[in-house]
Amino acid sequence: MAITAVLRTIKQAVWIGWKVETNWADPLVFAIYYLIRPIAGLLIVGFIFLIGSFVSGIVDPGLFAFLFIGNNFFIYVTQIMIMMSMLIHEDRAHYEVLKHIYLTPGSLQWYIVGRALNGVMNASVSLVLTLGLGVLIFQFGMGIPIPLNWLGIDLGLLAVGLLVGIVCFMAIGFILCGINIMTSKVQFMLPEYIGGILYLFGGVVFLPELLPWWGQHFSNALPITYFLRIMRFSFLHNTGFDVHVNLVYLAATTVITVIVGLAFFRVAMFKARRDGLIDKKEEY
Amino acid sequence: MKRDEVLHNLKAAYARLWVRIKGGNREPEWLAAEVVMPVITLSAYIFLYKMVNAPSEYAGFVIIGGTMMAFWSNVLWNMSAQFYWEKEIGNLEVYLVAPISRMAILLGMALGGFVNTALRASAVFIAGILIFQVPMVLHEPLTAFLIFFLTIGALYALGMMFASLFMLYGREAWHTANLLQEPIQFLSGTYFPTTSQVVPQLVQLLSSLIPLTFGLDGIRRVAILGQGITDVWLHIIALAIFILVLLPLARLALRYMENLGKKEGRLTLRWQ
Repeated sequence: MAITAVLRTIKQAVWIGWKVETNWADPLVFAIYYLIRPIAGLLIVGFIFLIGSFVSGIVDPGLFAFLFIGNNFFIYVTQIMIMMSMLIHEDRAHYEVLKHIYLTPGSLQWYIVGRALNGVMNASVSLVLTLGLGVLIFQFGMGIPIPLNWLGIDLGLLAVGLLVGIVCFMAIGFILCGINIMTSKVQFMLPEYIGGILYLFGGVVFLPELLPWWGQHFSNALPITYFLRIMRFSFLHNTGFDVHVNLVYLAATTVITVIVGLAFFRVAMFKARRDGLIDKKEEY
Repeated sequence: MKRDEVLHNLKAAYARLWVRIKGGNREPEWLAAEVVMPVITLSAYIFLYKMVNAPSEYAGFVIIGGTMMAFWSNVLWNMSAQFYWEKEIGNLEVYLVAPISRMAILLGMALGGFVNTALRASAVFIAGILIFQVPMVLHEPLTAFLIFFLTIGALYALGMMFASLFMLYGREAWHTANLLQEPIQFLSGTYFPTTSQVVPQLVQLLSSLIPLTFGLDGIRRVAILGQGITDVWLHIIALAIFILVLLPLARLALRYMENLGKKEGRLTLRWQ
């Protein structure tokens, strides 16, 4: 498939994804909607931290910064996985367009990439707004001195880490697409379940060292762990952190995830075509 | 309402309950995942409390919050949003032409959903308490159950009211249901006590508008902190008021939205 055709497919998929996501409401309502959920998520962990610290008598701003960055960048995982998990179900059963997309000369894989990129766009907007509002609420409203140097962010490392991380989360999304093409009832549970596992073992809001030994080993095998470490270092410049080693681990776990994700998706599509699942109806 | 009419509606509620229970437990192999995965999600918050050296009863607060959240999710997705699904599938028009009350259908959904969720939620509760060794000081189990059932009643009454909105709207309703997850978890204090002095008064004021807040706080006080009915009688009264207000409101809202839908021709509109 020529590169221009691939890019055109991705562009159209991003456009249709944007329309599907946004045209149910006017822009203001949509913006509020995309802000409220991540902000509420941040408020939950922020208040757990504050109340827990209050009763124990010690408020550690460094730990707050740890969870603040971790929870905010987890938005990418949530958005990409929800988008990619719901995609097959919506296009196949609800709108009944998956068979048409499958039949076109463009590739379904590139269409899915485009829809996932739409999730990345939404997540990026949510991230920026949540970071800003989070600082307003917790630093200026609740008086926690978050040790973030906004002018000293390592933008290069942030960009590389984000790029590799997004590719990795999209690969996990392809696994979800593969599972959904072969099944018809798990699209709602999958992102919640996989997200829950990554949230716990990725050390998103607490130090992974608190996990039992087997949990720490599992955490070390997950790309999300290295992704969040790099994101945190880009903002916090914590000492004793080896950037290169963590980047290598992130790249290595991402390569494995991409290989597994694409292979799984291909096998799933083969089985789906063989078993007549591509245009399966679910009584919509 | 005549006796025959009441019996007729009770039969309709039972029929809807039966479908809900049968459908919800058709694939028992998923039950394990439905218990394990919520415990995993709750664990992250418990570890967060551990990270800041909070006392162990806070783990109990999280587990009770997560257990009650299962009911709120059930109310949102399997009752309120159910009318949206029914419309997309084509069942809503069948309900509307049937000579039964919409409240009977919703009652069946509520009872069926409650049974299904109660099975899973109690397993999550027991697993959480055992795994994290949460100390429970339960002196008055009947008081805890009273608050629990009042909370469930208030939540399902709220769900019936929301169902009227979902009857008319399409993706807006879907996104609204999404929107009522994390914000409600925050405001109701699902994972932390909203009565803490750290929580701003404005948040406490907003949280008092949600029945779940009273239910959670009451159950935590009785089951974890060992308090009794003399400490939580205000919670009980508040929950009873919620039920008395929300049930008639739900009936009115359903009637209003159904009439509006008929006028605007939106009751059978799909792919909105």
